Amino acid sequence: MTVHAADAAPQDAASGTSKWSRAWQSHAPGYLFLLPWFIGFFGLTIGPIISSFYLSFTDFDLLTSPDWVGFANYERMFTNDRTFATSMRVTFTFVLFSVPLKLAFALAIAILLNRGMKGLPLYRAVFYLPSLLGASVAIAILWRQIFAGDGLVNQFLSIFGIVGPSWISNPNYSLWTLIVLSVWQFGSPMIIFLAGLRQIPQDMYEAASLDGASKWRQFWKITLPLLTPVVFFNAIIQTIEAFKSFTPAFIISNGTGSPINSTLFYTLYLYNEAFSYFRMGYASALAWFLLLLIACFTAFSFLTSKYWVHYDD
Amino acid sequence: MTIRLGRRQFLMGSSALAAAAAAGINPAWAQSALRLIFWGGQARADRTYAVTDLYEAAGNPGLEAEFLSWNDYWPKLATQTAGGTAPDIIQMDYRYIVEYATRNAIAPLDDVIGDLGEFDADQLEGGKVDGQLYGISLGANSVATLVNKAAFEAIGEAVPDNSWTYADLERIGEAFNSAGNGMRAFSDGSGTEPMLDNWLRQRGQSLYTADNKLGFTADDMVEWFQMWDGFRQKGYIVDAETQALDTGAPESSMVAMKRAAMMPSNSNQLVIHQSINDDELTIASYPRIAPGVGGGHYRKPSMFFSVGGSTADREAAAAFINFFVTNPEAGAILGVERGIPCNASVREAITPTLDEQSQIALNFVANLGDLVGALPPSPPAAAGEIDLNLLRVISQEVAFGARSPEDGGKAFVEDATAILARANA
Repeated sequence: MTVHAADAAPQDAASGTSKWSRAWQSHAPGYLFLLPWFIGFFGLTIGPIISSFYLSFTDFDLLTSPDWVGFANYERMFTNDRTFATSMRVTFTFVLFSVPLKLAFALAIAILLNRGMKGLPLYRAVFYLPSLLGASVAIAILWRQIFAGDGLVNQFLSIFGIVGPSWISNPNYSLWTLIVLSVWQFGSPMIIFLAGLRQIPQDMYEAASLDGASKWRQFWKITLPLLTPVVFFNAIIQTIEAFKSFTPAFIISNGTGSPINSTLFYTLYLYNEAFSYFRMGYASALAWFLLLLIACFTAFSFLTSKYWVHYDD
Repeated sequence: MTIRLGRRQFLMGSSALAAAAAAGINPAWAQSALRLIFWGGQARADRTYAVTDLYEAAGNPGLEAEFLSWNDYWPKLATQTAGGTAPDIIQMDYRYIVEYATRNAIAPLDDVIGDLGEFDADQLEGGKVDGQLYGISLGANSVATLVNKAAFEAIGEAVPDNSWTYADLERIGEAFNSAGNGMRAFSDGSGTEPMLDNWLRQRGQSLYTADNKLGFTADDMVEWFQMWDGFRQKGYIVDAETQALDTGAPESSMVAMKRAAMMPSNSNQLVIHQSINDDELTIASYPRIAPGVGGGHYRKPSMFFSVGGSTADREAAAAFINFFVTNPEAGAILGVERGIPCNASVREAITPTLDEQSQIALNFVANLGDLVGALPPSPPAAAGEIDLNLLRVISQEVAFGARSPEDGGKAFVEDATAILARANA
């Protein structure tokens, strides 16, 4: 994707002394308009982040003032907390399956829509809808109904004589219902894929067709390579989203991660430590570890990107 | 003026407040009103607000009240307490009262509460931490088995009364299985903490001791899991998958979903369960471990009002609480929604006015007889974590067959001991 940044700096070759004051004069209104955002950003985002870093080295329990405990919280995470390990396993399973499946699904639908059909705006809107609804409480409750023992899925299966389990309350399947829920919200990567597909020059396909390349071959040799920057972007955004996923698991299991912790996402565990057991210090340490984890994943993706992402310039 | 906030009203109200603040208007109640926070549903809120209106109409200071669901309540209260903005009057639970009291997040009331001469002694005792009064019981209740009376009548089986036993549970289980209507006799109670507590107390043990330790051994816990595993295998109780559908909301309970004819509950919850059930319900005691063995039940303070530790006016807050529990008019409005009133004259005054379910609940708590044992010590810190994070998870592991009852029982005692040691060090 090409981003055209607006030329912000004034293009004058003014001499050193007045350069700063003139720049300030032209930028001041901009910063003034940004001020509400800055206040929110520093007061409500950066401030709490910094204090949570401090709290992660304390035993803060919300009711009494925090005492410094050094690295004890981090130590406990890795040496003496089986639930931490469980929640890591659940979260990694979720990320590893939901992200690729969602991207594949989004790409497939985008290619379908890109062939130019009647009522495209309508389809686009309909397919995008789940993304808007996905994180809502109503959908999570609906999901419970659909995947319950006598829910829609099993009623459908019973047509073929299959007696399905209670997907949502069986520890072998419950995480998968959440993965399906996440894949169903393929709308936003789909829209981005669609935009990316529009940028691929048509003459490449024409030339390939003349040379006798099949549609399948065109996909692998033209579409996918030219789309890799978009795939890369979507993969990073979706991976971060998946690591942070919280609402569906919270609603569907009523905040418990049940059955048997099979849907105990890392974020859900963190929330329980903070707000059910009031271990704010430990929860802060968990939050910082999650940040580190996401940063590592993103850095790793950027490092490997030069081997598989092709920019057309 | 009374300010009351539900979820939606809160949003509307906060924007109105922001607008008022921007316009330089300072609402009158901002200086003097007492703030009250409680958990519960709309029915409880309606009754509570009617009492705050009554209190104000008598010329007392106004109240600014807010209510939330149980799950949202504790994070909000803890956050407000941490921020030094805790409300003046706080609805408090038995499970948390020790933690809040020992951290001075709630204030002792002995010198300010005023006359509680007609108050039940055991209910006053239940609100004490280290000999000081920190919470005033808003009602007594007891654990109880919720019974779908209609389901029993449909299969021609006698409805259990307070004499019924675990052996009867097996007999009733067979009866429901041979009726073959898909309903089991009982829900899966293996992960229900009050049920385990009741079973232990009948054996002369307890869940926790006064010095914050477990009151039983791994062998007891193995026996507990084995008993329920036996019920499960014979189909007397619902299977693991079905039980896991219960999220704790009354609508998702095994009785409401017609999966089981009985389930563990509380006496004051008969009213709410009946309101969402078309079958006629009633309550009985928890099953006895053998005929004639009692001592498992106790009259538990269902919830308290406490005074916030940072309140500016402890006396004004305590005066409202006194009014709330001793005024007959207030008692008539509140009914038994929070449990049986603990003040003798209030209780007598309201008894004839109660509806059928409330009468059943009141009679049940009044006539427990030999079922009642001594009031257990307040639960130690981390009791909540042991219930949610350990008992719930391990009982499910046993139910789904991921652990044997033997393994589950040992793991529970081992982990619970470690959690207690860490939390009460």
